[in-house]
Amino acid sequence: MSSTGTGLRAAAAAGGKPGTVAGKDVAARPRDTASTQGRDTRDGWLFLLPYLVLFTVFVIVPAVFGLWISLHDYDYTLPEKPFVGLDNYTGLLTGDSPFAAPFWSGMQATAIFTLASVPLLLVLPLAVALAMNLRFRGRNFFRAMYFAPYVLGVAVVAVLWRYLLDTNIGLVNSYLDAVGLSGAIPWLTQLPWAWVSLVGVTLWWTLGFNTVIYLAALQDISPELYEAARMDGATAVQRFRNVTLPGLRPVLLFITSVTIIASVNMFGQSYLMTQGGPGQDTRTAIYQIAETGLTSFNSGVASAMSLIFTVFLAAVSVAVFYVFRDRDAR
Amino acid sequence: MTRLSSTVTSRRQFLALTAAGSAFALAGCATAQPVASTGPALSGAYSGPPVTLEYWNGFTGGDGPAMRQLVADFNASQDLVTVKMNVVQWAQYYQRVIAAVHAGKGPDVGAMHVEQLATQAARQTISPLDDVVTELGLSASEYPAQVWDAGTYDGRRYGIPLDVHSLGSYANTALLEQAGITDRASTGEELQRNLSALVAAGVETPFWVPNRWPAHLIFLSLLWQFGGEPYAPDGGSATFDSDAGVQALTWMTQNIDQGFSPPNVAPDSQYTAFKNGEGAVTWDGIWQINDLQATAPDLRWSLAPIPTVGTEPAVWANSHQLVLFRSRTPDDNRLLASKAFLRYLTDNSAAWAAAGMIPARSEARETPEFRASPQAAVADAIPSMRFLPTVAAVGEVQAQTLETAVADSVLGRAEPAAALSAAAERATALMQGNLQKFER
Amino acid sequence: MSTVAAPRTPPTPRTAQSPEPARRGTSSRRVVLYVLLVVLTLVFISPLIYMLTTSFKTTAGAAASTPQWIPDDPTLQAYESILGTSGTPVVRWLVNSLLAATLQTLVILVTASMAGYALARVEFRGKKIVFGVIIATLFIPPVILLIPNYLIVGRLGWLDTLAAVVLPGAAGAFGVFFLRQFFLGLPKELEEAAFIDGATRWRTFRQIILPLSRPALVTLAMLSFLTNWNDFLWPVYVLFSPENQTLPAGLSTLQNANAVRYDLLMAGAVIASAPVLLLYVAAQRYIVEGVGRAGLKG
Repeated sequence: MSSTGTGLRAAAAAGGKPGTVAGKDVAARPRDTASTQGRDTRDGWLFLLPYLVLFTVFVIVPAVFGLWISLHDYDYTLPEKPFVGLDNYTGLLTGDSPFAAPFWSGMQATAIFTLASVPLLLVLPLAVALAMNLRFRGRNFFRAMYFAPYVLGVAVVAVLWRYLLDTNIGLVNSYLDAVGLSGAIPWLTQLPWAWVSLVGVTLWWTLGFNTVIYLAALQDISPELYEAARMDGATAVQRFRNVTLPGLRPVLLFITSVTIIASVNMFGQSYLMTQGGPGQDTRTAIYQIAETGLTSFNSGVASAMSLIFTVFLAAVSVAVFYVFRDRDAR
Repeated sequence: MTRLSSTVTSRRQFLALTAAGSAFALAGCATAQPVASTGPALSGAYSGPPVTLEYWNGFTGGDGPAMRQLVADFNASQDLVTVKMNVVQWAQYYQRVIAAVHAGKGPDVGAMHVEQLATQAARQTISPLDDVVTELGLSASEYPAQVWDAGTYDGRRYGIPLDVHSLGSYANTALLEQAGITDRASTGEELQRNLSALVAAGVETPFWVPNRWPAHLIFLSLLWQFGGEPYAPDGGSATFDSDAGVQALTWMTQNIDQGFSPPNVAPDSQYTAFKNGEGAVTWDGIWQINDLQATAPDLRWSLAPIPTVGTEPAVWANSHQLVLFRSRTPDDNRLLASKAFLRYLTDNSAAWAAAGMIPARSEARETPEFRASPQAAVADAIPSMRFLPTVAAVGEVQAQTLETAVADSVLGRAEPAAALSAAAERATALMQGNLQKFER
Repeated sequence: MSTVAAPRTPPTPRTAQSPEPARRGTSSRRVVLYVLLVVLTLVFISPLIYMLTTSFKTTAGAAASTPQWIPDDPTLQAYESILGTSGTPVVRWLVNSLLAATLQTLVILVTASMAGYALARVEFRGKKIVFGVIIATLFIPPVILLIPNYLIVGRLGWLDTLAAVVLPGAAGAFGVFFLRQFFLGLPKELEEAAFIDGATRWRTFRQIILPLSRPALVTLAMLSFLTNWNDFLWPVYVLFSPENQTLPAGLSTLQNANAVRYDLLMAGAVIASAPVLLLYVAAQRYIVEGVGRAGLKG
């Protein structure tokens, strides 16, 4: 169901002020006669219809339904689903509810993972993309190699790395041992190692995705700009700062949004590799919401959790957008 | 967009109302709840039209082939009923079966762990079986009392015992011999002595203490051994943070402090280590018997009841119980056929010993085949076997509280007493909530 | 992509020409570059090779504490076991996953292109409000819909069916928004000429707009397919029968059942990855460039 989940909000952020585009378009085209107008209205709705059916049933209805659920002690397997007002929210916010502690520890886990993974996922792919942007033989081959893990999917990646990172029989520890380092690192069962593993594996898995997007953007920067900069005697660093970075700015907003969204939604890696452990320290907010709502059937509390989570996410989105908008103004 | 919204407020309101309306409609048109029914009494063999039954269980391990065989035998034994067996890992089974029954796609017959019966009954997925037990001629006298009693919730019977399974102590006999040990330990001191001898004989870490599965089963066994109880019988509070609990958990962590176990044992590696000889003794479920025989054919091992570390013998045990699922549209023929299948399973439960389990029915434990099985040694401990109380949602509560406290302490991230009391406090809050929720 | 600028014209096929070519003659730098790239390639490829070789090991071989790159006594035991157990129909999962991802991609392409076209090119009453609502939902994180959608899918009787992993995920607004932006950038003259010739909306859309939009459609298709293919949380909860699982959900089942049987797990992972990797090798250019374009467009 969360298909297009990553792309979705990113594009929203990237799309920025949709009203502007729409407004411009509309203003430019006054329609002529009443009959065309009638036909257009019919055509417009007919073209929209298939999507609108999906959209209504799986976006609009659940959005409202979710709000309604969150005001109830909603367990669909029980006949009574009493109205509890804002109790689900206040319980979580004040810490009185037994669900509060795991929820906030999930929020903390999400924050840790996001803060640790996003910078790496922004910077390393850029470095790789810059190297790949040089003209050399076999470039497409390397590009394809780095992207390959992404098509494998989270399950294959997590199952594979759980094996490689096994404390006792894993390849990673065995090589660390071979080069004289500690070969008994509890990669998946102890902090901070579990985070290192989750971030590292995520990097391994999605580095290629961001690299490919960076690369396309780099290739979109006009060669004349570099030529001009070079004529002016700009150094490589100066060219990077004054030509490359400004050229990448629109794509940076896209990548930042996509990466943040992917990171705050991290679930499969920890579900499969650490089972949320050690303890419940790598259970992310999403993990906790899914467990509460879909395993323990406390749908009301889980819906309240997801709404609180959304508020936090909205704050982050605004902040990211603000950062990029600020630079636009300069 | 602000510009747009002002011009079309009414339309927007209309849309919002429509959406809200449909949401309420969805919420309001409460789907038919599953109905408890066990159908008319079954006399003799099933004689209705041919039916195909869905039978769900979680026998994924060494126990799977034995159940598959039982089902195949049943299908071959008569022409009218075909049983289709669907195996789902226990970890996902309970959530899925609830979803399936409420979605109207539930199975007819199932097997469940005994502590889940209360939850499933409260969530209206399984039917009371008091009549069925009478019809099939089963009675308490044929089963060990705690196993039989554990199948009831709220004064009604929901499960028919199929087997008993508990923790046992596996030992690598080659390593024991190497260390000059002749007898399996039956007390905590003896175990300590044996472990020291094993270390002296070159097994660096003979007893790996897990922090995940089956760590909480070890903890519960020890808690009972020290005279504690994990939960109040009425389901109103968690009591696993008692002195007995602290002693139990402390004993587990001491094995790491003393070097008998490496720290930070990754999930399941205590078992892998046992198989490849890095560990010499491991406490695990008797369901591992078949797996050991299949995946470590060269390993020489023995199985014994776990030693009494505390003040009285006790060991965590569980029981697979057979259940009938509710349905939105109960069908008498399916129910009759289901009961015929249940009867076949209980009558032939001796064959279930092939799964590495201990048959619940007393007569099935007397057969020479069973007496010759590895688990027969553990079956003698039946009187000291302890089950979790039948409290609704106790499994969910335990997974979120007791299991994390055990894991945190074994990993050295928290002191046993502090971890247990924090977890017990949360568990009590959850249990209070559940009491309210399931009793209304 | 940029927030105010009008969308670009359809991207021209990119040549391999690079805007900042490495200077010729700096061969030592070139060597360093190659070494780095090869090391990085090893980091990405060696785990996959290890996965492949482990799938041919015995259970004991896979659990050996000294890793073997080449199994001592290669065996097909893991594959036989995994393909022979009815509880873990890996091939069936593969088919389910391919089916789900393909169907969802098709549904998205059809519904989103029609809706995107209406929003970009047709003037009709209520357009602004519909567009506003659709865009607003782009800002709703999917998790908020998780619980209610689970309940809705349950009410519809779709739990444990293909529909559950195809339709709800196709309702996202990204495709509509993405294609609308693309259509806005197409020249209007062609369409207007077609109208003058008496073509209907539908014909214009089919015969003029869609063929012109191939790059955008390919990009959307690749993104949709990969997103569905990678989706994990949703299928884990809405599918319950072994034969109805998708690969990600199924692999987690396999891991639960065989936590320490790494030979089996790797064999399952190989079966799960081989077809997509082959597909990827074949269509690598489209996939990689499709994803690359996603950042430029919109």
